[in-house]
Amino acid sequence: MTRNSVSAPLKRLFFLLDAPLALLLAFTITMFILILVTPLLSVLLGPSLRVSLEVLEGFQRYPYLAWPPLGEWVIVSDRGDYKLIIVRLKDLGVIPNTLIVATTVTLLATIIGVFMASIVARYDFPGRGIFRALAVIPLLYTPFVNAFVLYKVFGDGGILGQAMLSLRLGYSVELTHLAGVIVAQTLMFWPIVYLNTLAAMLQVDPSLEEQAENMGARGLKLFTSVTLPLSLPGVLAGSGLVFLFSMEDLAAPLAFKVNNVVSIRIVNSIIGARDIELLGVEVAILAGALLLVALTWLIVIRTYLSLRHYAMIVRGGRWQPRVFKPGPIVYALIYLVAVPLLLLSMSPQIGVLAYAFSKSWLGVLPSGLTLDNFQYIFRDDMVVRAIRNSVMYSAAALVFIVFMGIASAYFVNRIRAVGVSFLDFLVMSPLVIPGLSIAMGLLLLYGSGPLKGTIIDPFSNPMILIILAYAIRKSPFTTRAVYAGLQQVHQALEEAGMNLGATRTRVLLGIVVPLIGLNVLAGALISFVYCMTEVSVSIVLGALKPDQAPITYVIFDYLTAGYGGGAYVHVAASIVALILFVQVVAIFTTNYILKYRYAFLGL
Amino acid sequence: MEEVVLENVDKAYGKVKALDKVSIEVMRGELFTLLGPSGCGKTTTLRVIAGFEIPDSGRVYIDGVDVTFKKPYERSTAMVFQNYALWPHMSVFDNIAYGLKLRGYSEAEIKRRVGWVLELLDLKGLEKRYPLQLSGGQQQRVALARALVVEPKVLLLDEPLSNLDARLRLRVREEIVSLQKKLGITTIYVTHDQEEAMSISDRIAVMDRGRVVQVGTPWEVYNKPVNYFVATFMGRSNTLNGIVSERVSEELYKVDVKGLRLYGIAPGGRSLSGGLQVAVVVRPESLRRAGEDEKVNVIEGSVGRVSLLGYTLQVRVDLGNGVSLTAYLPSRDSVVVGERIRLYVSPEEVKLYPAKEVDLELQD
Repeated sequence: MTRNSVSAPLKRLFFLLDAPLALLLAFTITMFILILVTPLLSVLLGPSLRVSLEVLEGFQRYPYLAWPPLGEWVIVSDRGDYKLIIVRLKDLGVIPNTLIVATTVTLLATIIGVFMASIVARYDFPGRGIFRALAVIPLLYTPFVNAFVLYKVFGDGGILGQAMLSLRLGYSVELTHLAGVIVAQTLMFWPIVYLNTLAAMLQVDPSLEEQAENMGARGLKLFTSVTLPLSLPGVLAGSGLVFLFSMEDLAAPLAFKVNNVVSIRIVNSIIGARDIELLGVEVAILAGALLLVALTWLIVIRTYLSLRHYAMIVRGGRWQPRVFKPGPIVYALIYLVAVPLLLLSMSPQIGVLAYAFSKSWLGVLPSGLTLDNFQYIFRDDMVVRAIRNSVMYSAAALVFIVFMGIASAYFVNRIRAVGVSFLDFLVMSPLVIPGLSIAMGLLLLYGSGPLKGTIIDPFSNPMILIILAYAIRKSPFTTRAVYAGLQQVHQALEEAGMNLGATRTRVLLGIVVPLIGLNVLAGALISFVYCMTEVSVSIVLGALKPDQAPITYVIFDYLTAGYGGGAYVHVAASIVALILFVQVVAIFTTNYILKYRYAFLGL
Repeated sequence: MEEVVLENVDKAYGKVKALDKVSIEVMRGELFTLLGPSGCGKTTTLRVIAGFEIPDSGRVYIDGVDVTFKKPYERSTAMVFQNYALWPHMSVFDNIAYGLKLRGYSEAEIKRRVGWVLELLDLKGLEKRYPLQLSGGQQQRVALARALVVEPKVLLLDEPLSNLDARLRLRVREEIVSLQKKLGITTIYVTHDQEEAMSISDRIAVMDRGRVVQVGTPWEVYNKPVNYFVATFMGRSNTLNGIVSERVSEELYKVDVKGLRLYGIAPGGRSLSGGLQVAVVVRPESLRRAGEDEKVNVIEGSVGRVSLLGYTLQVRVDLGNGVSLTAYLPSRDSVVVGERIRLYVSPEEVKLYPAKEVDLELQD
């Protein structure tokens, strides 16, 4: 018997691919190694070389750990005719603060998200369609300004307190400091749990629930014994993302003036440093810790995150999900809890517009309808240049994204070979890897050592790395869209072409790409929007050279410069309003022209 | 002369063995069928020939050339896919012309050849349509046209009739055979339908769990099944449990089926020892009413269910010893439920297979 030689696996790979495709795949993998894997390794390994006992001891002292905790939990002050209750929570130091905030936010967001998803998935109530449509709004990206709006609602002299005063209850409440961060992040992030849970619930085969009912389970019992466990992967994926997003979030701590959390700590010290040597090793360790948490989570939800799993979601939903008429209690929950909560969660997006189109916002309502803010930003060279930069960087990144997306989706979907599931894992991982860790890794890897001073050194020329980092971070959205398209193209359509004499590349270009063109377009549009709204890498690398900075850095700069509100918030909000506009256009295009739904936001 | 040769081809997916030392030789101009239940490896075999799968070991030759590692587009095969795989974004003409364009024919030549095949398959006038505007039968013919127009050495048909309704299936089946004979093109045909296989094939390879169990003409495979699997897969049959009581001659044995004594043969040159447990296979159509004077190989019982299938009368006969079997009698016979009936089967039609072998075959 002739064994087909020792090099069979390699031979097989060459058999499956032809040269252009193999090159494209090699290029994709190289990009991921250079821009994702190696930088992350240098975050994990680099600082450990410089770790000393002294550094570790430093983590036991302020600001990393504060014991006894500083400040007050709650301050009640007598203002004569009313009592002012300021909820702020004590400062326990950078590390405990971050963990407490992330844990609390995750718990609250999970409860709200699952609650909202259950209502939408299982109850048919008047206004359900509108509710579902509105639930997308909190997911629209409003970088930084969202938290400033929530500060306006809950914070010092906020709308909540003023509303309570005008109701003459005899007391008034303000949420500040960590308490404010928790509430703000909960309102910002619960829709992520909602969306993932909803997708999972709509995927549950109705007959599984019907079987349980048939055996006597109903109501809450049915929900806790069948529906929830079956949707658990979605819930977990959503909660995990919330935990990571909370740790990485800069907006809420910035708005509520909290300095002692990991994310702010990292960004402040990088922006302060003008050279990699000035970067404290503690900060690099924090970025590494952030990464470790993310990696742990990534491994836990690996199957849920993979392209192959996603394919199941796309194919699902062929059946009619079960919906019920709500009883009185559920009606009360919907209209007294869910709807107000949803409206409150939309306040960042509404608030952005309110800030953008108003002269000032001191009382409950903004005043002075105006377009001045927009005129102002278009006259500001820095803003105009940043917009140009962002569009240019995103467009450049998109070229990479489309090629890498097609290559990796095609490979994962079509080629049965060793390492495919690893590739799947690799190309989808940027969805979860914290941008701050990537930014830190790029600084460590390309800002020091042999590459220092070269064209790619971010301290002198951050543009290249920003583009490449956008390409890696935002490629999963396109990859996923291409993958979904490939699902619809039967493999036999390609085999028929090859059978008639076309090479694989030729089949890909002549048969597959024309058939999935709309998917590629939709995916590219999504990736483009997310490039435009990218925060972590933009701020960290943009700060190194402001004339090369993208738009999100400028928003950040305006808000930190105009610290405590004031006119700059209005200017920043008008930039964000433009970004909102781009997102809305993109959503309408993908949903209605390309008939491509639900893939836009969330995970 | 051999056109397609497979030599000891192995193919595994993970731990599942899809092909286990498959060797076949297909002659030039022959219509050769791969027949077997789903999962038997017939489609995998076809895909190995087309080049969509490479074997883990073994060799594939087309027209004397080793093509084992040749890419699909470097072999001169043309496949008709089960779902036709017509490109939805191309018209009928463009679908058919695709392979010709790749071969660099001139515009005029492409037109001429496509015209020829449109005529051949009665597709004239449809060339501007798109696949979704065609009926199932038309799509099928377009797929066939697309494969034939490049004048391949080998035509590969993967269950080409399975997506057609029953009436159309019979017609297209005849069309394929007459076309194949007219063009004299070597054809490998995959199906799980044994009746289809028998009606069209020059030769059949019966496959079971990745192995080729028997290769032969339809007549050989039906009448001389080499093992229990083939015997029961081809057509309907009754399987009874028996014990060999004595060897009568070279091939002939006497068996005991719960008190019923039958003479039968052991196919494939096996020799069975006395006392051996065997599966006794009798086809319903080899049973007939016994004459008064017939004493040997007579099966007596009472009539259970009777169903008229049209071309035959299907009669369930209960032998009273816990054994029952099905017989096909002429449609015009009158058989009453409950009546006693005597049936005769000739010894050559009673096939004995060692029970152990059967168990092995049935193991999954």
